[in-house]
Amino acid sequence: MVSGGNASSLPLVGGKPEPTIKELSSPGRRASNFPKLDVPEVKINHESLKKEKARLPEVSEHDLVMHYSRLAHRNFAVDLGFYPLGSCTMKYNPRFADSIASDSRFANMHPSMPEEFTQGCLKVMYEIGNYLCEITGMDYASFQPPAGASGELTGLLIIKKYLEINNLQNKTEIIVPDSAHGTNPASARMAGFTVVEVETDDRGMVNIDKLKEIVNDNTAGLMLTNPNTGGLFEEEILTISQIIHNAGGLLYYDGANLNAIVGTSRPGDMGFDIVHSNLHKTFATPHGGGGPGSGPVAVKEFLKEYLPGPIVENKDRKYNWYKPKNSIGRMHGYHGNFLVTLRALVYMKLLGKEGLDNLGAYAVLNARYLSSKVSKIIPLAYDEPCMHEFVTSVKDLKKSHKIKAYDVGKALLDKGFHSPTIYFPLIVPEALMFEPTETQSKETLDDLAESLKLIIADLQQEDIVLEDYPKNLPVGRPNELIPAKFLTVNWGDFELLEITE
Amino acid sequence: MFVPHSELDLKKMFDELSINSLDDLFTHIPDALLLENGLDLPESLSELESIDYFDDIASRNKSDLVCFAGGGHYDVYLPQTVKSLTMRPEFMTSYTPYQAEISQGILQVLFEFQSLVCDLTDMELANASLYDGATSIAEAISVAINKTKRDGVIISSGLNPNSKEVVNTLIDGNKFNLNYVELDNYLFPADYEFDELQAAFVVSYPHYEGSCQDLTELVTKAKEKGIVTICYVDPSMLGVLTTPGQMGFDIIVAEGQSLGSPLSFGGPTVGWFATKKEFARLVPGRLIGESRDKDGNKSYVMTLRAREQDIRREKASSNICTNQTLNAIGSAIHLSWLGPEGLYDMGYHSIQKANYMKKSLIKNGYVIPNDDSSLREFLLEVKTDASEVINKMGDKGFLAGIYYDDKHVLVAVTEKRKKTEIDDYILALQEVDNG
Repeated sequence: MVSGGNASSLPLVGGKPEPTIKELSSPGRRASNFPKLDVPEVKINHESLKKEKARLPEVSEHDLVMHYSRLAHRNFAVDLGFYPLGSCTMKYNPRFADSIASDSRFANMHPSMPEEFTQGCLKVMYEIGNYLCEITGMDYASFQPPAGASGELTGLLIIKKYLEINNLQNKTEIIVPDSAHGTNPASARMAGFTVVEVETDDRGMVNIDKLKEIVNDNTAGLMLTNPNTGGLFEEEILTISQIIHNAGGLLYYDGANLNAIVGTSRPGDMGFDIVHSNLHKTFATPHGGGGPGSGPVAVKEFLKEYLPGPIVENKDRKYNWYKPKNSIGRMHGYHGNFLVTLRALVYMKLLGKEGLDNLGAYAVLNARYLSSKVSKIIPLAYDEPCMHEFVTSVKDLKKSHKIKAYDVGKALLDKGFHSPTIYFPLIVPEALMFEPTETQSKETLDDLAESLKLIIADLQQEDIVLEDYPKNLPVGRPNELIPAKFLTVNWGDFELLEITE
Repeated sequence: MFVPHSELDLKKMFDELSINSLDDLFTHIPDALLLENGLDLPESLSELESIDYFDDIASRNKSDLVCFAGGGHYDVYLPQTVKSLTMRPEFMTSYTPYQAEISQGILQVLFEFQSLVCDLTDMELANASLYDGATSIAEAISVAINKTKRDGVIISSGLNPNSKEVVNTLIDGNKFNLNYVELDNYLFPADYEFDELQAAFVVSYPHYEGSCQDLTELVTKAKEKGIVTICYVDPSMLGVLTTPGQMGFDIIVAEGQSLGSPLSFGGPTVGWFATKKEFARLVPGRLIGESRDKDGNKSYVMTLRAREQDIRREKASSNICTNQTLNAIGSAIHLSWLGPEGLYDMGYHSIQKANYMKKSLIKNGYVIPNDDSSLREFLLEVKTDASEVINKMGDKGFLAGIYYDDKHVLVAVTEKRKKTEIDDYILALQEVDNG
């Protein structure tokens, strides 16, 4: 089969390992060059100055470029192949945004400048605030949080401050579904709340009866994503928000799955009071191998004065910083990950109303289509129409052939695809979670399903060793116990280990 | 846009799902929640139109000023190799390296980043990055609190004021005592007495005002009381400065912008975090370890995962998930490009140039209150009003520095500044600051 998302032709240079930059170092070499000192040189005496040079590698520029380029070759990426990675929204990142974000008129701006000097940057933040509020159904936004988890913490600190100002300190419990992303309970704990889990029902949605049992006077709020981590739309969301609001709690929307509903439905209309969005998921900014992201938080009018500040206002055609009166304070040293925010605005401008109105629909179409194909190979965890992602389980294969979700993911790597998300949500045994996003073609989805079918058949053969997969890559499964036990986290650590063992 | 489907594709996909339109995908969503007319947003722009649109926005920035501002973010020279390599799509568009076998590139660069940070600061274990310098300080304080189970923190006032705000947000003042200690003549009081109620001692090196001091004895005294010592270091000065490790610090954190990232209006940059191995299980964020596969091939993999939020959930050492990997990659490549000689030149040229500027200012009747103790960055006492001076210097083509208080501007001189720029700055200053 021919498909654009299959990366099995990748010239990943296998065989030998790449040395470290330290191993490539040789005394006396250097890549850097600076102009000659153009001020009169004087002897400077200061107690903090040292005599010896820093311990750094000495390499030529060509060696340096070859080294890091070869390392780049040893890595999968959105630009190379398909990541059906549930909960991560690994869509295409428009190249055009690179050029705007590299424009020195944005990239070389110092963060501590008077607002008169930075009207362009402030306009970017003001404009994208308007887009984000319209898309999520909220009123005001702050772009300080540099990632989703920081956005979550921001939302919870807003809830906390709001309760404090309104003398409701008895409200200390945050309700989180048992299917939630790990950052939810971690953020709630960091904000000083007690975490109370609510069960998921057989259909894969919040169990309304259990929720009613848990909610009480101490309920501070609920953290939820909709669609939820099972990829299902919480059909009773209006009832849920009524239950929480009636108890005096606030509703927090985790934007992890926002891609599913852009243009179709809005968290603000569902009753959510606070929303964080992941610009590096929904709005197509590149993941950078794990970051930078951007996790802006948008709120309803009544929470504006609690936002982390300052936020951008527009008065008399001039943009200015405004510090909300009851602000929780800063979440970032400056203005969040500004260049990521800028990239997201570029994406929104390119899509415009037409593109954004149908964004969620196409994401759901691809997921629904892929789930239809995949469900013929591995059973779905929930027999419900999925939104932008869906969860399957190989628990039967584990019973019959000892094949774990982990093994399926590893074998898929050999076929030119990234693994789906595995073991998440935690409540589904041997879970494999697929999220195709809207930018993959039908052929790529067909190819993934076909490859999955082949590997499931392969892995069931009697003479195979599951641990041998993947087989076609520069390295096989690394031994995870060695670094965890011996802390080989610095160059030289491992070699030291070999000497002492 | 960016959706690949043709009419024919759509028909085939609709047929597979037995539906007739995109709307049929959402029959299970309550009608009240469906947007009837879509979003109230402007029409899409083509790439060509977007160029004009963003050109207009960019032109509203005063982006051509000669930069004398610092405060943690420095206008140092960022070599093209760093820009080109960090733009490689294999780095830029890849996901977090959970699947080690197809992520050896990112994993190895991050492992090199960790090792370079350790070598540069004389520490034993660095993580794979945090958000920025400010949030790294708060994470370090959390580690100290978890380690000591104490509830007081001694923080030097000579810390970036925004960083203090972040610490105040992230460390709950109702539970913990944040004790800010005033500097004495721009230095942390050498005779400060620590007590055993304190979990952490946090100090900036150099101080925000640019003054620098040997902190060895303070660190020793704090450690005698069982306090975790945390150094917020300016990493691009470590080519010339004694390292935090040499002074005995337990944890170093840093704003890593000046190594590998453009100024970026403050973000994305990168937070560095390094410590001793005894703290390993309390470290926030991701850690990369070296291992072997079953055939003995060198391989890298994320390690000590049991500290992280996706496994420990509410008991995790931090809630961090997405970090600043691409900027950490930038740091690793920039440090490799610089080497020992380059990092030395960067630091040495900047302190020579700053010294030249300070002496010239003094010669022209200006006061530099921390002339003796400062290196690359210093306070300039102005004759009129500091924010007015900064605004007027903008008209002359200079970013004069950062507003410190009504009488002082914080001035930084990087290796990039030319003698002529310094001379012109002082001429312009004399014109606009006419007390």
